[in-house]
Amino acid sequence: MTRPGLAAACAAMLRRDLTLAWRRRGDIAMPVLYALIVTMLFPFALGPEDTLLQRIAGGVILVTVLLAMLLALDGMFSSDVEDGSLEQLVLAPQPLALMMGMKILAHWMTTALPLIVIAPLLAAMLHLPAAVIPVLLLALLLATPLLSLLGAVLVALTAGTRRSGMLLALMLLPLCVPAVIFAAGAVAAAQQGLPWIAPVAWLGAALVLAVVLAPLACAAALRIALDA
Amino acid sequence: MISTTLTVPLLEARALSFLRQDEPVFAPIDFQLDAGELALIEGDNGSGKTTLMRILAGLLHVGAGELFWRGEPMQRDRCTGEILFLGHQLGLKADLSPRENLLIAAGLNGYREGSSITSILAEIGLGGFEDEPVRRLSAGQKKRVALARLLLLPASLWLLDEPYANLDRIGIALVNHLLEKHLAAGGAALVTSHGAVSFHGGEPRHIRIHA
Repeated sequence: MTRPGLAAACAAMLRRDLTLAWRRRGDIAMPVLYALIVTMLFPFALGPEDTLLQRIAGGVILVTVLLAMLLALDGMFSSDVEDGSLEQLVLAPQPLALMMGMKILAHWMTTALPLIVIAPLLAAMLHLPAAVIPVLLLALLLATPLLSLLGAVLVALTAGTRRSGMLLALMLLPLCVPAVIFAAGAVAAAQQGLPWIAPVAWLGAALVLAVVLAPLACAAALRIALDA
Repeated sequence: MISTTLTVPLLEARALSFLRQDEPVFAPIDFQLDAGELALIEGDNGSGKTTLMRILAGLLHVGAGELFWRGEPMQRDRCTGEILFLGHQLGLKADLSPRENLLIAAGLNGYREGSSITSILAEIGLGGFEDEPVRRLSAGQKKRVALARLLLLPASLWLLDEPYANLDRIGIALVNHLLEKHLAAGGAALVTSHGAVSFHGGEPRHIRIHA
């Protein structure tokens, strides 16, 4: 009998979720289309005034990306709970927190990464200066995994309940406020030519904390959800 | 008192019960299961057979009483991977093929020495369906994919909740064959079933639970 090592189990988990996402490519495109449409509508609604659009560009892109991520968050564990794969995962001789970490990573790669890829396009539509785009991308690279991790804990907490979408949105809102403030703060500072490293460092610190704690919380919450 | 048994039972329950909102789901039960032994769990609908299975698998906490694994109090990290649970929900991803589903199971749990997914799927009667998405298979075929896990993954105790559901005559014979092989190899199994079990390797033990 051969037991797999940790790395092999992590790879199997990651490959599973990425394959599943690839089989349902249409679902990946949804948040991207949503973000494109919302950002495209702003210049139409507010008028094509450069200074106004430049001023709101950072905030609009961050909020749009956040809301687009929220669309896909709900389904992070629901299919696994329904078809019983979560039970099998809990019973597998692997640390559940690490497996949850892999699931969150796969989720981030399939929902947030496409949004980050189109972020320069969104920025261009709102006339954000090209010099600020690297800061925007850096802020997104730190803020989106933070949101995925926080969101995963809440999704795990509401996993046992039906129609948890509403509850999830209400609970996630206060948690994502700091991420939005720091990310938007960094972009605004860069736009005004001020040092932007401090808010980015705060985002990084929060992300490090979340990477360590969120998978553990997720695993505990899912065990409780199954134990009912 | 002199202990007459030298071998320690694989699994032992003493006055085991489970409480849901302070109401016991089933009356306290005692049983022992040795290696190489099969026990059938019998009870009416709603008597708590599935609940008992989920407790033994480690998905539900022990409500009252004690549970021993190889003579020691049962702890999750001591017996994970030794117990294989097959429940009502099969734990298969509908978008993946039987082969991919089994690869993931093996990736997480390990596999028996010398087992190959292709030969196992052929043995279980799914030759030719290896790469078909599970969503296109019939209910009985899905059940067979889940049963293939029994052959692939290393485990000493099988917990099978209604393993005969959805299976045709050949499928039922297949489950019995798998059980006989497992017991002969020194494994143990607990099975819940409504249907008649025609088990050839001697009369299985019966554990009766009451609501």
